[in-house]
Amino acid sequence: MKYKLYITLLVLFVLSLGYVTCQYRTKNNQGSSLTERVQQLMEMAMKRSVLKFNGPKFKQYIKATPRNYSIIVMFTAMAPQRQCQICRHANDEFTIVANSFRYSQVYSNKLFFVSIDFDEGSDVFQLMRLNTAPVYMHFPPKGKPKVADTMDIQRVGFAAEAIAKWIGERTDIQIRVFRPPNYSGTVAVVMLLVLIGGFLYLRRNNLDFIYNKTIWGLGALFFSLTMTSGQMWNHIRGPPFIHKSPNGNVAYIHGSSQGQFVLETYIVMVINGAVVLGMILMTEAAARKGDVKKRRIFAVIGLGLVAIFFSLLLSIFRNKAQGYPYRYVCKKYFI
Amino acid sequence: MQRRQNMLPNKSSPSSSSSSSSSTANAKVMFPDKRPTTKQMKSSTLTNAAGLSSLITFTVLLLAWISGFASRLFAVIRFESIIHEFDPWFNYRATAYMVQHGFYNFLNWFDERAWYPLGRIVGGTVYPGLMITSGSIHYILHSLNIPVHIRDICVFLAPIFSGLTAISTYLLTKEIWSAGAGLFAACFIAIVPGYISRSVAGSYDNEGIAIFALQITYYLWVKSVKTGSIFWASITALSYFYMVSAWGGYVFIINLIPLHVFALLVMNRFSNRLFTSYTTFYVLGLLLSMQVPFVGFQPIRTSEHMAAGGVFGLLIFVAALRYLRTVLTKSEMKYFGGVVAVTATILLLILIALTYAGVVAPWSGRFYSLWDTGYAKIHIPIIASVSEHQPTTWFSFFFDLHILVTTFPVGLWYCIKHINDERVFVILYAISAVYFAGVMVRLMLTLTPVVCMLAGVAISKLVELYLKEEDRDDRNGTESNEESEEERERSPGRALYDKAGKLRRMKHERPKGSGDGLGANLRNGVIIGMLMLLMMFTVHCTWVTSNAYSSPSIVLASYSNDGGRAILDDFREAYYWLAQNTPNDARVMSWWDYGYQIAGMANRTTLVDNNTWNNSHIALVGKAMSSNESAAYDIMTSLDVDYVLIIFGGMIGYSGDDINKFLWMVRIAEGEHPQDIRESDYFTERGEFRVDKEGSPTLLNSLMYKLSYYRFGEVKMDYRTPHGFDRTRNAEIGNKNFQLTYLEEAYTTEHWLVRVYRVKKPAEFNRPRIPISKRVITRRANSYISKKTARRRRGFIKGRPVVIKGQKPQRRTT
Repeated sequence: MKYKLYITLLVLFVLSLGYVTCQYRTKNNQGSSLTERVQQLMEMAMKRSVLKFNGPKFKQYIKATPRNYSIIVMFTAMAPQRQCQICRHANDEFTIVANSFRYSQVYSNKLFFVSIDFDEGSDVFQLMRLNTAPVYMHFPPKGKPKVADTMDIQRVGFAAEAIAKWIGERTDIQIRVFRPPNYSGTVAVVMLLVLIGGFLYLRRNNLDFIYNKTIWGLGALFFSLTMTSGQMWNHIRGPPFIHKSPNGNVAYIHGSSQGQFVLETYIVMVINGAVVLGMILMTEAAARKGDVKKRRIFAVIGLGLVAIFFSLLLSIFRNKAQGYPYRYVCKKYFI
Repeated sequence: MQRRQNMLPNKSSPSSSSSSSSSTANAKVMFPDKRPTTKQMKSSTLTNAAGLSSLITFTVLLLAWISGFASRLFAVIRFESIIHEFDPWFNYRATAYMVQHGFYNFLNWFDERAWYPLGRIVGGTVYPGLMITSGSIHYILHSLNIPVHIRDICVFLAPIFSGLTAISTYLLTKEIWSAGAGLFAACFIAIVPGYISRSVAGSYDNEGIAIFALQITYYLWVKSVKTGSIFWASITALSYFYMVSAWGGYVFIINLIPLHVFALLVMNRFSNRLFTSYTTFYVLGLLLSMQVPFVGFQPIRTSEHMAAGGVFGLLIFVAALRYLRTVLTKSEMKYFGGVVAVTATILLLILIALTYAGVVAPWSGRFYSLWDTGYAKIHIPIIASVSEHQPTTWFSFFFDLHILVTTFPVGLWYCIKHINDERVFVILYAISAVYFAGVMVRLMLTLTPVVCMLAGVAISKLVELYLKEEDRDDRNGTESNEESEEERERSPGRALYDKAGKLRRMKHERPKGSGDGLGANLRNGVIIGMLMLLMMFTVHCTWVTSNAYSSPSIVLASYSNDGGRAILDDFREAYYWLAQNTPNDARVMSWWDYGYQIAGMANRTTLVDNNTWNNSHIALVGKAMSSNESAAYDIMTSLDVDYVLIIFGGMIGYSGDDINKFLWMVRIAEGEHPQDIRESDYFTERGEFRVDKEGSPTLLNSLMYKLSYYRFGEVKMDYRTPHGFDRTRNAEIGNKNFQLTYLEEAYTTEHWLVRVYRVKKPAEFNRPRIPISKRVITRRANSYISKKTARRRRGFIKGRPVVIKGQKPQRRTT
């Protein structure tokens, strides 16, 4: 009898306790404990390396206070009508990092990768006071995100290596980026070789064009003009095509001697080519034997090309080199 | 020229047909009469074409040498005869060591004054060609009793060699095209800024003699391919040996020559001449190049040299095949295609296996970055940090080559149009050099000679055509038309293959069928236009040389508005201070740029220098510079640093100072110590690098910042700017009025350009407090103690007899 009373009391007590804790839990966050949340996150992360969140999920997993995991969030706008070109690149790089983490040695339940699209979670954007995309943010296990927890895309870019380095700085988890091998270069080369080989095979009865010096000569000229006009610099540094200043002015020529725009190099290439053409015309006019009138015209055209385009080149050069004193005097009043 | 050659011998002496033997023939015939002989001799040597052309050649080359030498002297005239920049100081120091201690001691020299505490084996890590060249000049002059200081030889070596470069360029261009083009090329290379940039007086560096070695090697190679003689090929190997001993750029030769051979093989231009010259050159050149200690076994162990070996094998294989073709029947020859393919694959597989096994070293980073252009930026910050390793803008192409950049494609075009064995070489040279110059500013140097040669070809061809006198005979005109038709008929066949000397034949033919008919005005117009261009070129070259390439960078000059000039000699002031005021074995820490200068001028031990062989050591110095004072002190004590030397340009607005280089220090340090140094800590939150109040606190407390701006906050330069205004970065500094705990200022030069700090010993700062009761003053027994007190400041003579007045010394009585 006494035992029964005790047992009922105990059962009541346990039940009430359970009720109270349940109450507590539902009051504090949307019905899941820390371990449950980690469990759910792990399950989601097993399915895909970058979790797609919306507003409620954001509150449930990221805003919830007791956390022992870091979350890297990419705020993005992938929908086509948003016209965010770089979001696609940013997403690719972010996925590379997430996959590298997912299949690496350091994989644990301390770090999750999340992406939030503007069209699915615009309330989150409002909450975080974001009006640009893409933005990478780190939510640390304790405390609120600091300024340095937003990655500085302007400065470091959003290459996968930069993201991994930033994550390493913020969370001390060093991710070694493993890019899926890019076969496009190899495929292009193989395609080119196949094309050339096929072309040669089709023309195998008439291979004289290989001995055509004009083609080889034009190719060599084009290559050297490409190089001397600084295309390699463009390839390595990637400058803008032209410069548009905020007040609507468009600059075709870079102001200093240290830089150049893509269009500028094309202009220079054309000018160089025109001077070369002029010199060849002059030489051919004198060397050939044929209609005198035609040759005279060629010689005049050649001389004109050399004079005009060389002085043009010199004037562009003068613009870039401060204090350069000389010009092609002969055509002083042209330019 | 051709017409004169035909006509003039007839005038002077009908008997002699060939112009070269005319003078001797004249002398014999005219012997009896004395006066006419001399007269005749004189007129014949002057008017004789060969004599005249050699006189012109000689004069032009001499003038090119003199003008090239003279235009390199701006720095010597404006400043003084000193060694420039950084690397030349090491070369000078090594040369002086070799002259003093002898060649073998130089080869065995272990320099304990560099890379403290590691040291550097100088003899085995240096290309000794430069030192040997100037050392032997010094030796010869001294054995002739001409006492010239080794420093003057070092200063003037590069300008003198520029003349030799001009001559070798003339020879090479003459082999490839014609003597006239050669003279143009020699004149161009004598003054072109792309070459002057590395060979002004005082820039005592490998490149100064290496370009000469490069050109002469190419000349000899072309000569040996033309003649097919073992003699020329051996001379080529010898000059290649000189090149290997002089400059690391010899790799360019050992890849370009095999490329030439390979291209000739592909073009089906194999000949026994080619076989003889390449096999001789390769075997001798390989053996000789391995004699240079720094190169050692690299020629058989690194990928850079593998192409030469492969082409060697291929050439022998092709030769063997050609021989077998004469012996075997056609049906037996069928199998040889398969044999070739199988052997080639096996060789390639062996090479790949050896590379993986580590026997053959893969491409080194510097060379690899030439192919994969993004490689250095990601993997090797120390290579990417050097401004010479940046890609080239069109501006620098035009700046260094001016009209040549637009005329050399014309020469290239005509070389391709009239191709032969040696022109294949110059085409490959041009194409490869223009690619490398596009990737790296520094390799503009290898592009310059070939650009001069091809521009010489283009301009000489043009000027030659337009300077020729016009023949207005109508009949000749019709003849010429016929002939041109004849030629046109012949030409399609000729387009397929060409022999050397096609051009020459055309020139011979032209005088007969002249009748150009372009008109004198047009000709003169073109000639005047070209002359204007060439004058522009000379003026440009002089301007560029004077303004851009003639600064010693040790002595700076600033110009005031009225044209007056102020010399800033702070570097030498600081180095001289170090030499005079520090102990002989003091160790000076500075960024690596100044290592050679400290060793050369101050003669003190350095931690890192411009020979950047040990990246982790440099990173350690970078870490010390970028951490805060106490962390830096730990590193500095572990490295035994006594003095720290930094360059600060904020006072006078010198932009090449250490604060501007600071981010590279951080980057290099971060590469080795990523957990301690983070580049992002040195930027503001908006990603800017600022030294003012808004700069990041890590930057404002780093050692480099503190050493640069110590006591700078007290300085007010003029009334418009606040205290501590940095003129280089145009900002008021953010951290003023701080004290240094672990270092003390030792010396600051006149314009604050160089600041030297002494690292305190542990006893000098932060002493533990000893309670008064335990303070024991130990005093040596015989030490002198001053008797001055605060009240009595008069001096005191020790042992002076004290005279007491007014009292007799009492005599003791008993």
